[in-house]
Amino acid sequence: MQASLKTPRPSETEQPKMRILPTTLALWLIGALPALHAAGDGPPKLPFNAPIVVDLGFFKITNSMVAMWIIAAIVILVAQLATRRISLVPTGLQNLFETIVEGLQGFLATIMGEKLARETFWFFGSIFIFIISANWMGLFPGIGTVGHYMVDAAGNKGEFIPWLRGANADLNTTLGLALVFFGMWIYWSVKANGPGGFLSHIFIYHGEGKGFIKAMLVAIFFLVGFLEVVSIMIRPLTLTFRLYGNIYAGESLLELMLYMGGKWLGWLAALPFYFLELMVGAIQALVFTLLTAVFTSLMCTHEEEGEHSH
Amino acid sequence: MELISFLAETGSVTAELAAVGENLKKQFGLHGQLLFSQVIGFLVFAFLLKKFAFGPIQQMLDQRKMRIAEGEEKLKRIEKQLAESEKTTAAAIAKANDEAVRLINEAKEGAHAFSEQKAQEAIAQAQNILAKAEAAAKADRDRLTSELKREFGRLVAATTAQVTGKVLTSDDQQRINEETLAKVEA
Repeated sequence: MQASLKTPRPSETEQPKMRILPTTLALWLIGALPALHAAGDGPPKLPFNAPIVVDLGFFKITNSMVAMWIIAAIVILVAQLATRRISLVPTGLQNLFETIVEGLQGFLATIMGEKLARETFWFFGSIFIFIISANWMGLFPGIGTVGHYMVDAAGNKGEFIPWLRGANADLNTTLGLALVFFGMWIYWSVKANGPGGFLSHIFIYHGEGKGFIKAMLVAIFFLVGFLEVVSIMIRPLTLTFRLYGNIYAGESLLELMLYMGGKWLGWLAALPFYFLELMVGAIQALVFTLLTAVFTSLMCTHEEEGEHSH
Repeated sequence: MELISFLAETGSVTAELAAVGENLKKQFGLHGQLLFSQVIGFLVFAFLLKKFAFGPIQQMLDQRKMRIAEGEEKLKRIEKQLAESEKTTAAAIAKANDEAVRLINEAKEGAHAFSEQKAQEAIAQAQNILAKAEAAAKADRDRLTSELKREFGRLVAATTAQVTGKVLTSDDQQRINEETLAKVEA
């Protein structure tokens, strides 16, 4: 206690910041207090899988699929509104879309060169816009919280099925995105290098050297090629689980915070995490786009093109 | 034996992996039709986005870039033309200036010659007038002198005749006149 009393006081200039932090923490803790009385019900647990909301037998629809269609419809509608009366002097929505397209294309061009970025922009642009829209849409009120309870034959209330769920909090979506990328990656790589060049890029040593050293390098590169194949095969899985894990964890965290905050102050407990999730949503979209662009660039951009692109 | 045990281990690992895969599939709700639906959904989304957003916007950006490039090209051309025009204008101005200087000099020279000529003419005219005036004055003076001489001679002759009381002959009158005039003129 003595030691804590002797703790030096922060300087005068630091005081305003120090006052804000305890206030925020106190408010947040007040929000979390009702968790004590709610603890009896147990914290909610977001299921790993997206529940099926419509089952037609041969065709099932999950709540994440519904969310994906809604996002797609909104984005396409806004895009069409933006480009309906497209003009040389941009205004309103056209300005926004032009900024996004120009910014993204410029960003991709720094990674993979102007030509390749332009050719593949339809994919990387769509991936980025889809992921960021889906991630942010998952933060809207009602998503994951508005739904219905399953009722068994005896009329007992069962599992709660939300009507909507963050599209990327479903492994089918993230795996689907990763598989589309994987397919396109193979297509672009073979297109850029030819089938032989594709394999040569992975297994063959292209550097300089003579005699024994060269023979060693050729052998090492050939063996490393198998590791490269394994790495390539793992890429879709890492992409899938990274995106799914982050978004699922974010949604679980928000649900938990809302629960901890109780009936009336749940919003306050979850508020800081909403800001965090906004950031995570954007970062994950960027990470997915960036990684897929880098993987493509590694295979399709040759050194001289890469240099030109920088 | 080693090979058999290795294969057996490999088989067991494969079986474990399959079990893990099955577990993951069940736990995360992986489903062929759902996966396929999501893939198709994303491809449709990408196609529509390309059609309604990326395509027109990229076209517009290209068009704008082209317009800017054209504008810059035009600007360069105009600047070049302007420089050439300025050069031509400067040359024309210099030429006109030289011509003007030459004309001014010629005019100055012409004016000077004309002025000189006119001055000479004026001087000649003035001298002529002066000579004429002098001649006229001399003639007047001569005329007045002769009239005065004649009158003076007449008066002297008349006076002499009255004083002497004799009638003077023309020779007397002639002589008196000549003597008087000689005295006056002396």
